[in-house]
Amino acid sequence: MIPLSGLFEGDFVAQLFVVGQEDTLNQLAEKLAYHSVDRRVAKQDRPFEVLIKGEVFPGDVKVNEVGLAPMDHVVVRYAPL
Amino acid sequence: MPKLKREDWYHIAQKVNWTFSYVSHEEVFPKEIVGETQVPIEAWEEWDEPYKMTYREYVDIQRDKDGGAYAVKSALSKAKITNKLGDGWNNILKMHYGALAVLEWHAGIAEARMARFGLDSAWRNTAVFGSLDEVRHGQMQLYFPHELVREDIQFDWAHKAMHTEEWVSVAARATFDDMFSATNAIDVAVGLPYAFETGFTNLQFLGMAADAMNVGDYNFSSLISSIQTDESRHAQIGEATLQVMMKHDKEKAQEIVDRMFWKAWRLFGVMTGISMDYYSPLKHRSMSFKEFMDEWIINQFMQNIESVGLDKPWFWDQFMYEQDHISHSLQMGIYFWRPTVWWKPVAGMGIEERQWLSEKYPDWEENYGPYWDTIIQNYQNGAVEKTLPETLPVLCSCCNLPICIPDAKTGKVEVKTITYEGQKKHFCSDPCQWIFERNPQRYAGQKTIVDRFLAGEVQPPTVPGLLNYMSLSEHEMGYDPENGAWALQYNKDKNLVI
Repeated sequence: MIPLSGLFEGDFVAQLFVVGQEDTLNQLAEKLAYHSVDRRVAKQDRPFEVLIKGEVFPGDVKVNEVGLAPMDHVVVRYAPL
Repeated sequence: MPKLKREDWYHIAQKVNWTFSYVSHEEVFPKEIVGETQVPIEAWEEWDEPYKMTYREYVDIQRDKDGGAYAVKSALSKAKITNKLGDGWNNILKMHYGALAVLEWHAGIAEARMARFGLDSAWRNTAVFGSLDEVRHGQMQLYFPHELVREDIQFDWAHKAMHTEEWVSVAARATFDDMFSATNAIDVAVGLPYAFETGFTNLQFLGMAADAMNVGDYNFSSLISSIQTDESRHAQIGEATLQVMMKHDKEKAQEIVDRMFWKAWRLFGVMTGISMDYYSPLKHRSMSFKEFMDEWIINQFMQNIESVGLDKPWFWDQFMYEQDHISHSLQMGIYFWRPTVWWKPVAGMGIEERQWLSEKYPDWEENYGPYWDTIIQNYQNGAVEKTLPETLPVLCSCCNLPICIPDAKTGKVEVKTITYEGQKKHFCSDPCQWIFERNPQRYAGQKTIVDRFLAGEVQPPTVPGLLNYMSLSEHEMGYDPENGAWALQYNKDKNLVI
């Protein structure tokens, strides 16, 4: 398990969340969104995408494939229409 | 025989420096505890306080001030005024006492450090009074709330807060340890009486006393007025020290002011920002936090730094940008993580209060309205659990506050991350990162609550485990005193837009 810092774009605060090494980035996005969407950020019927150091990564890539280390920071957002 | 007038003899007692013969100057004034500057030792002889006072005068005045404040307290203690003032105002009291009372004692130690290690006798003499002032403030601000403990256990946090690992008290300690509890005499002189007291609290206390009078809390008003008059006197230590430093080491003076003004600002945003924009009862609000900052603090601070020859802090653009954000972001954070504080965070989100926010902050609805709309919807749908946290906010490795204030350059919250000696450090802003990076050894060991959580210090590693770690029992932890009833006044069918 890896603790990460995450900001759901549009939310007001960065939050701590935990992912597994085998999680895909789609799963990572869901785990962070759980703490933001429908709590402070309005729910939308759109998929998420993950940005690491400003770069969007495919959702089916695994956490251990992108080399995330404990407390690295990621941004999750609704994918643009 | 008539006594001499003060001005006829004061100068004789003011300058009593002497040349040491059996020890070196460095042994008497070690640099580790005095601080290091480019100012030649003899230049400190120019240190001159504008507000001259003798010990006899000090005792006389303080005795009268104590008499006045305690008389008001005695007369009003049976009136149980705080019961009638509402949760918002009581939050202001609880936050103020918890974050400041014990730290006033620490400030007494810091002033005592200057009373011994200040580099001129006039400085040391003035700091003796400053130290006695701060001891007095600690005593009064513990004594006044003590009688309220039997009415509301959260008032016990006037004394308790600083003895816990509760995150707001950790943030307050992180700032005040850096500013005065754990630093040298020169840093204290510029950081505490200048950047903090001259910059912020001297005028804030005037405003706070007036607000307290306005809401009918005469006890608190008299207490704060009594403290403020001390502050305005001993705050002169800052400017007198800067006058000397500016001639010989402006760079150092500017660096301390920049660093401490920023840290003071962060804490001020929590304490005063939220109090003015959300906790203060609407009918008694005279101005918004932004208006107060503009009229009282920024204007006055600008004049002051100009008069001593300092420049505006390098982060001025970010500071000005935050006038529109800091209270709202921190209020959202404290409301959402409300179980983790020692007061009862009101939402401050009634329809009229929200209209007031939109008038005072024209972009408020766009920037902060949607968060509250989502919370309102959850209350209206009975999903109270979604108005509460299940994780922690990421905290800044410098100010220890949640990373939640947008960056002036992008208009978004930007988490600034570095790796220091193998550890990730996160910062809320460029100034906080700058403070850390200019002296990382000083700050690296200061673990945020998140660092401690991840290091296994919080057991069990759950929100209840965290509350226990922060010494918040179920009777003490914060909650919305209206239990979200305020949210039900909004029209469910209108997408909540007022």
